[in-house]
Amino acid sequence: MTPKAALGAMAIACLGLGLLQAGVNPVAPSKKKLELNFWNGWTGPDGRIALLMIRKFNEENPDLHVSMQRMPWDTYYNKLMVACTDGRGPEIFVVHASTLPRMQRAGFLDRVDDLYSGPEGVPKSDFEPYVLNQTVFDEHNVGLPLDIHPQGMYCNMKLLRSAGFDRPPQTKVEFLRAVRALTKDTDGDGLPDQWGFSMSQWQNNYQSLVPQFDGRYLDADGNPTLNSPADVRALEFFEQLAKEKLLPPPENMLGWIGFRQGKVAMVWDGVYMLGDLKRLNDLEYVGAPIPVIGNHPGTMADSHVLCVRTDLTHEQREGAERFIRYFSAHSVEWADAGQVPARLSVRHSAAFGKMQVQSAFAKQIPNMLYPARTPVLFEIALEINLAVEKVIRGRADAQDALDVANKNSQGFIARDRAEQRK
Amino acid sequence: MTYVQKRSLSGLLFLAPYALAFAAFVLAPIAVALVLAFMQFDLTSRSTIHFVGAKNFSDAVKDDYFRQAFVVTLRYVVLMVPGLIVASLGMAMGMNAMTRGRNTVRALLFLPGMFNVAVTAILWMWFYDGQFGLFNYLLKGMGVGPAPWLSDKSWAMGSIVLMSLWWACGGTAIILLAALQQIPKQIFEAAAIDGAGPAPLFSKITLPQLKPVLLFVVVTNTIAAFQVFGQPYLLTRGGPELSTRGLVQYIYETAFNNYRLGYGAAMSWLLFLVVAAFALAQYRFLRRGSV
Repeated sequence: MTPKAALGAMAIACLGLGLLQAGVNPVAPSKKKLELNFWNGWTGPDGRIALLMIRKFNEENPDLHVSMQRMPWDTYYNKLMVACTDGRGPEIFVVHASTLPRMQRAGFLDRVDDLYSGPEGVPKSDFEPYVLNQTVFDEHNVGLPLDIHPQGMYCNMKLLRSAGFDRPPQTKVEFLRAVRALTKDTDGDGLPDQWGFSMSQWQNNYQSLVPQFDGRYLDADGNPTLNSPADVRALEFFEQLAKEKLLPPPENMLGWIGFRQGKVAMVWDGVYMLGDLKRLNDLEYVGAPIPVIGNHPGTMADSHVLCVRTDLTHEQREGAERFIRYFSAHSVEWADAGQVPARLSVRHSAAFGKMQVQSAFAKQIPNMLYPARTPVLFEIALEINLAVEKVIRGRADAQDALDVANKNSQGFIARDRAEQRK
Repeated sequence: MTYVQKRSLSGLLFLAPYALAFAAFVLAPIAVALVLAFMQFDLTSRSTIHFVGAKNFSDAVKDDYFRQAFVVTLRYVVLMVPGLIVASLGMAMGMNAMTRGRNTVRALLFLPGMFNVAVTAILWMWFYDGQFGLFNYLLKGMGVGPAPWLSDKSWAMGSIVLMSLWWACGGTAIILLAALQQIPKQIFEAAAIDGAGPAPLFSKITLPQLKPVLLFVVVTNTIAAFQVFGQPYLLTRGGPELSTRGLVQYIYETAFNNYRLGYGAAMSWLLFLVVAAFALAQYRFLRRGSV
């Protein structure tokens, strides 16, 4: 082979390799994939499961390529708001049901009524009306609920059995008996170092009891009712626990970490914390509904809602809907991340039935209460948090703390209404 | 073109890249923030954006949370700045007196300042941890019960200041050490021959000679202290009961969590005015009597 011919052969070889590297088939050129961006705040083990689901979706849908970007929730919402109001946001994104009012008002959530209609549509009857209604604004759906994440009770069965309990407590009497029996000084220094119960997310723990007493955050006109007798009674329960020294002192509030270490027998937290427990091999735990402390069962919950941005092209919109339907249909895989699927048909599957914690938490769904449905939720949530904190620290009683929270919340809502009138 | 004109032009060209970046990323945002401060600008409700005059400013003055955050910030400034100056000056004088190993000590003291605030906060969260923390472990060894470093209203701010001192002292100490080394030794020797003891040497020679550098250190650290955000945000998120939520955190939450950009901008301008007033007052006070 002459040097000229060798050079020519090398050039052809390079060209061929280059085409292959670029993903171009020189024999049968294929259609370019449609790129879709999917943003969420699933930065924990849930994100890894979502990534596996997306890989499967991409394999099964060769004309689409979904890329996921995840970031901590507080950063996420800032970025999402700025990007979407400027028209540069992702095609598909996750919004908590409780955050939908703010996002909906910002005007970048597209209506997705067609997701629920047609032969491939997701039937509305496959959701609890209460859950589905969280996504309805002006009689239109702006998203599809993927899951429900209720608060529930995690129990260390080894500790419970050591005090003579062979199952998680279900009533106030049983719960208090277990808490008192399991709060002990095991090392003899005069201070308890094992606790029957510890609060984890203070605000969420309190809000888990609000529906049990038939409490609400807003009345039918959207005015705050944070200091209603029912809400006060829910907070008084924790006030009583703190007064009786059945809660660890704030400087040593063990919460979730204490439960992981086996120093706390019972803790109330979200079903999403399951991913953290799954990494522990030596903790014998079960999930259970929050005991009935009030008039009937109940807990706090929220949902991840899959949404699409306005101003998508027809192709983008079609691809986004296909992805959302896929994710919803495969939500039993998502449940493994520590979630309860929003769809009834998925929850009735055998695979979900085998998920002990998720199934136990799901029992509370008929009695759950979502956070206040208002665009000023963050400000009201801060007031609730402050009220709970003051009570746990013994700086105010439940009534006074919630009176202040309610008065301030009235101010936020009045301000928001005045601003919206202009 | 004359030689002088050429020199001016080349100077401007050298400056241009930075000047452009400064205009785009500092001046323009400041101007935008000034405009926003006079607007009702809610990112979730763009149809309601309109000019409201000085309403955002008057609302801020009446806002209990703004006043609370201002008091918290002031507490931090009052604890942090004098603490920093005293500790840094002590460290600088100690290093200045050293005859061996000064460079090693200087490098070690400067080390914490090289950490990012997030790294520093994570490290100190372990120090302060109620159950496993180093400090409570040491206290337990001394037979003292656990201290509520970050979980009690009366402790949290002090704990944040302590961490900030550890983080910031080294850099300030090195600046003061450099200034101390510039003071001619003959002045101290002459005063010592005249019978001056350590206290007069410090008050009559060291402090007056350090005054220009102290002015710089006090003003820059006061400005930085008014802008405190990272340390309380990472250590306590502003708690317990908002006792460590400073102005910058409140502005951040208002503008970027609640999307009320107009109100947030107005509070930023109020903070700027307060910082400017303090800096000016310190400048005038410390310049008095200077040559």
